[in-house]
Amino acid sequence: MVSLRAEGLQKSFSGTVALNGIDLEVKEGEYVVILGPTGAGKTTLLRTIAGLARQDAGHIYFDNQPVDTLMPFQRGVAYLPQNYSLFGHLTVWENVAFGPTVQDWNPHRRDQIVREMLNLVHLSDRRDAHPRELSGGMQQRVALARALATQARILLLDEPLRALDARLRVELRQELRTLAKYLGITTLHVTHDQEEAVSVADRIVVIRRGKVVQAGSPREVYEDPSSPFVSNFIGEANFLEGILSRVDNNFSIIVLKDGRRLMGRPTSVPADSHVVLGVKTDFCEVQPGKSDAQNRIPGTVVRSLFAGKRKTLEIQTNIGLLKAKVPSDRSLSEGDEATLTFEPENGVVYSIPSEGLRVALEVE
Amino acid sequence: MPAIRLEGVSKRFGKIAALQKVDFEMQDGEYVAILGPSGCGKTTLIKIIAGIWPPTEGRVFIDNRDITGVQIEERDLGYVFQNIILFPHMTVKKNAGYSPRVKGLTEEQIEERSRKAMDLVGVLGQQGYLPSELSGGAQQKASLARAIASQARLLLLDEPLSALDARVRVELRYALRRLVKDLGLTAIHVTHDQEEAMSVADRVIVMRKGEIVEVGEPTHLYDAPRNLFTANFVGESNFLEGTVDSIEDGKARIELRGEHYLTVTKTTVRIGQPVVVAIRPEHLSLQPEDGDNSIQARVEESRFMGFYTRCRLRAETGDELLVDLPTGDPAVEEGTDSFVCFNPDFILLYPRPVEGLGEALKLE
Repeated sequence: MVSLRAEGLQKSFSGTVALNGIDLEVKEGEYVVILGPTGAGKTTLLRTIAGLARQDAGHIYFDNQPVDTLMPFQRGVAYLPQNYSLFGHLTVWENVAFGPTVQDWNPHRRDQIVREMLNLVHLSDRRDAHPRELSGGMQQRVALARALATQARILLLDEPLRALDARLRVELRQELRTLAKYLGITTLHVTHDQEEAVSVADRIVVIRRGKVVQAGSPREVYEDPSSPFVSNFIGEANFLEGILSRVDNNFSIIVLKDGRRLMGRPTSVPADSHVVLGVKTDFCEVQPGKSDAQNRIPGTVVRSLFAGKRKTLEIQTNIGLLKAKVPSDRSLSEGDEATLTFEPENGVVYSIPSEGLRVALEVE
Repeated sequence: MPAIRLEGVSKRFGKIAALQKVDFEMQDGEYVAILGPSGCGKTTLIKIIAGIWPPTEGRVFIDNRDITGVQIEERDLGYVFQNIILFPHMTVKKNAGYSPRVKGLTEEQIEERSRKAMDLVGVLGQQGYLPSELSGGAQQKASLARAIASQARLLLLDEPLSALDARVRVELRYALRRLVKDLGLTAIHVTHDQEEAMSVADRVIVMRKGEIVEVGEPTHLYDAPRNLFTANFVGESNFLEGTVDSIEDGKARIELRGEHYLTVTKTTVRIGQPVVVAIRPEHLSLQPEDGDNSIQARVEESRFMGFYTRCRLRAETGDELLVDLPTGDPAVEEGTDSFVCFNPDFILLYPRPVEGLGEALKLE
């Protein structure tokens, strides 16, 4: 078990900046997810840590020892790339035994490890099968067992579930975390899927355009997003533009274009600033007809999208189209007059982003 | 107007039966999702409807016209692929205008149609770009614009969102449904993602192993699936094996492992019958004391998941139970004992499958 630290990592590819000063800290045995949209620099970051790409500037430390000059095989990392490939002509057993064999382990120890790894990924009974005879989920497990069989100190997973069916992903992500925790291995897992991130991580590092935009526990990044982008990327949010008319220790008041006054959390943004109030759709409620809630925006339900546990209601209001995710037994349907409400504690005040709100929210 | 009917459609590739005697019908203006795990035959089915592959047996009707032998070019449909296929040397606008141009329309008509299509899907601002200059989501929007500009009344969407980031997928779901409904198109949308299927479609066809397992409206499939596989594939469920102990006043008393009992309303089972009890994680609750329809269990894990907290418990029956509690409810400590309360209105009862529960639920 080792800790991992990266300082000021920079990396460009022919003029395109992939990493723009990344600082990262992962404790021993911690499961950290790097979350961000395509092109954020996630894969480059993993490859740099694995030693497969060399950073232009900055340093990487394992247990406070610099590893910048070490070759990939000297770093003791298990790296599972996005497009891993198993050896098609080798059996499951031989695939998993590949690393230890190449590293010339004594056969007794090698067999013991391979047996243990296959056991862990529930594939002991398929040890003699060839990859083509296995389902996608099983192949993924073999690849994982193969990566782990080298007894690495750090596990690097690049979108490990991307190629699998949505429903299967839900099962396997749980297994991944359980396995990593059982082995106590320090893990970095890269994904673009915020639900996956929330469900497996001890800590989430949100990156965008080569920079860390927020790091914290799943709960922190979800409930206390530091920017409109994070608020909308982890979950979904409504944004209401207005002027911050008053702030005190308990709340802030925002006046919208139409004169409507809404309350949000207290903020360090100075009064009279042009602000945007971000409210997660998960925290919005919708009531039929009128409401006397503190924060209320009346409108009409224009669309209802069912998604199982919850449904998303789109409400047309005079300040734009707003969304709310509500329990799916709420009896509201398209065409109904309704009022969107939310608690002041769920409204987060941000200064209007200098690049404009639309650009600030771009998810790709 | 395109109403579609399939009669006894089968497709074999050598010895492999990809589709087995599939019958189904859909109305003009309907949005249908075909949902199932990898290898279930869903892609084969949409390719047969498109005319890309001929069926081995059976017939395909569009508007009561047998089009089984008709080529794809003559079927008047828009097809959007999983792997976004745009003409790489053409701008978005040229791509959108492709079909009208091939049909020999005047420059004015081409301009008008492509402009309208680009406007509808929201890529008008990027009309001068080449596909390589666009993000994945924008590319897929451009291919949608091209499909729409053909003015086909039938839109076939083959995993249209699978190649995109999770967050982008969610945005495009809204866009797809809005578009299809606003234009009054008939749409068939293939996906492995149950949440996507439920949120876009009027009706969902669940497939497995080349056959249709169940067809229904999204709320119906989620709230009252007729089939065990559906109950597990379309959203997560808990499954407990038991036997019908007694029936009184239309209520069945079910004996679970370890002599624990549950009462289930609305049922058609008989005494002594082996059954499976199914219930969604959000329809279970935790209580400090024993009560009706409760089973004692130990909390093994409690995890923040955003608007809900996922608890994993080991019940006295030996079963693992997933319980979703609203975040904000009192915290549940790992390692403590609790009583899991089953809401009788949401318990579903199924005959125990002959092939075994594990096999009946298998995701791949």
